[in-house]
Amino acid sequence: MLRLCGRYLLLAAAVVLLNFLLPRLLPGDPLAAGSDETGDAAHLVLPADARARLVATYRLDQPLFGQFVGYLGDLGRFDFGRSITRGASVADLIAARLPWTVGLMSVTALLSAGLGTFLGVLAGWRGGRADAVIVAASTVLAALPELLIALGLLVVFAVGTGWFPLHGAQTPFGDPFGSTAAPFSVVVLLRHAADIVWHLTLPALALVLSTTAAFVLVARGAVRAERGRPYLTVARSKGLSEGRLLRAHLLPNAALPLATLFGLRLGQLLGGAVVVERVFALPGLGLFAYEAIRARDYPVLQAVFLLGSLFVLLTQFGLEVVYRAWVPRHAS
Amino acid sequence: MPADDEQRHAARVQAAAGAAVLATLVLIAIFAPTIAPYPPQLPVARPFLPPSAAHLLGTTDIGQDVLSMCIWAARWTLLVAALVTAISTVLSWVAGVAAGFWPRLDAPATGLADLLLALPGVPLALLVVTLAGPSLVTVVLTLGLLSWPAFARIVRAHVLGLRARPYVTAGRALGASELRLAVRHIVPGTLGLLPAKIALTVRFAVFAEATLAFLGLGDPSTPSWGGMLGWAFNDPLLFTRPTWGWIVGPPALLITVTVLASTWLATGLEEGRRR
Repeated sequence: MLRLCGRYLLLAAAVVLLNFLLPRLLPGDPLAAGSDETGDAAHLVLPADARARLVATYRLDQPLFGQFVGYLGDLGRFDFGRSITRGASVADLIAARLPWTVGLMSVTALLSAGLGTFLGVLAGWRGGRADAVIVAASTVLAALPELLIALGLLVVFAVGTGWFPLHGAQTPFGDPFGSTAAPFSVVVLLRHAADIVWHLTLPALALVLSTTAAFVLVARGAVRAERGRPYLTVARSKGLSEGRLLRAHLLPNAALPLATLFGLRLGQLLGGAVVVERVFALPGLGLFAYEAIRARDYPVLQAVFLLGSLFVLLTQFGLEVVYRAWVPRHAS
Repeated sequence: MPADDEQRHAARVQAAAGAAVLATLVLIAIFAPTIAPYPPQLPVARPFLPPSAAHLLGTTDIGQDVLSMCIWAARWTLLVAALVTAISTVLSWVAGVAAGFWPRLDAPATGLADLLLALPGVPLALLVVTLAGPSLVTVVLTLGLLSWPAFARIVRAHVLGLRARPYVTAGRALGASELRLAVRHIVPGTLGLLPAKIALTVRFAVFAEATLAFLGLGDPSTPSWGGMLGWAFNDPLLFTRPTWGWIVGPPALLITVTVLASTWLATGLEEGRRR
């Protein structure tokens, strides 16, 4: 347990250090654009006092270690700096967009893990025709990038049939169903919720489709690996029902690769969310990251990467703790 | 068993189909200057033209020929894929053999691999490529440096199995240096893994390059399939124009075909090897 904590603390420290060092190790000088040295001087020449102010703001006058201490202090205060393009605090900007991404990712992660495990166990346990169909579909889905799945769904269900909206997370300017009910009444709130669900269906479906396949294949593999074990024969000879055999005996043993996969997939889901939010213009962290890329808004990108990585690490750690408590055999 | 033969045959057909598609794409990429009817970057006709005899796949929002762009983009995609695969494969083998053969290097190599595996790859790649500025070099280096760990672990597991073989002990007893043992006796035993690694990494590189380019992190001076999609999506009125399918469809289809072909090749080779 102590080793586990140490391992994850080390990983988290590496993430923080990486986030600090990356912009400092890579070539380029943030102030060069405004100085005479680059030949860019025609665009903008920074007055000396403005330059000094920028240097002080970014602590560029201090040695690397001093910069790092200051950076850690900022992180402790949840201060991720100010967005270059928007001027506002990155923490505030992220807080405003976080709910969309957290909602999208948690729904997707739970749905795809549940659905994928169910289908994978079904395929591995039953075998035969169901197995062949499920495996074939999962192999194709697992091969396709999120970009293409999202694009396909958008083209078929939003552009083609018009069943779902093309973009956004809610209908702008109020109630899409032309309600005449009083504002803030239960009816309006429910309709607003329905509107959001309607907007999020395709983005969530895109992520679920691309993530479920991996769970199906891993769950199927784990079940097939355990299927012939003697303990199952013993349990079956005790007269246990097939359902109980699965739930009480097989699943705990097959769960380790699934828990590991869940942790690994979360990181990919974050990457998928960036793409899917861009395709559907969903105003979450992913679209924010995309806008930051286009505007070269480095503090925003750094904060998104740092928070995303720490969140993924924390979830992986939590999963491992829960798993060890559930199946003591692996706690060694 | 006949069923087994049948499956082996199916795996072989699958691998061959994947290889054939990829080979066609390589030919298209090599002969792009001859095949492409127009220069890919320049406006050569009216914008938003539907397909016609002069422009088989229509034109973009600034009048570029979509077919020519798709052909030239194959060059870019395959170049990125080849370079990423080369870097990633070499790194996988160096790290895997080092970690498996020399116990002292095991902890640092495995630790680094674990760190990279634990991080969310796409956000990290986005951050690095944005900071370094998108270009062929930064995209290739970033994807190459991020994609070696998973396979390094497989190589390491393989090497651990080979290390204890009698012929390695015999080589050592004959006075072969550790480096010679690793290069001459361990590495050849792991080369059976090579085709699968190459096919998987080509798939990853096409997939990741398209995603980066879609998000605006391609080389802006070169057409790429992902970049064409990203550019199309910058147009807020994209889907209101009747010809949107001719701008979105071809690059999306080409990415799909390339990714699926490398997947067939990878799974076909894998199954063929296992049986």
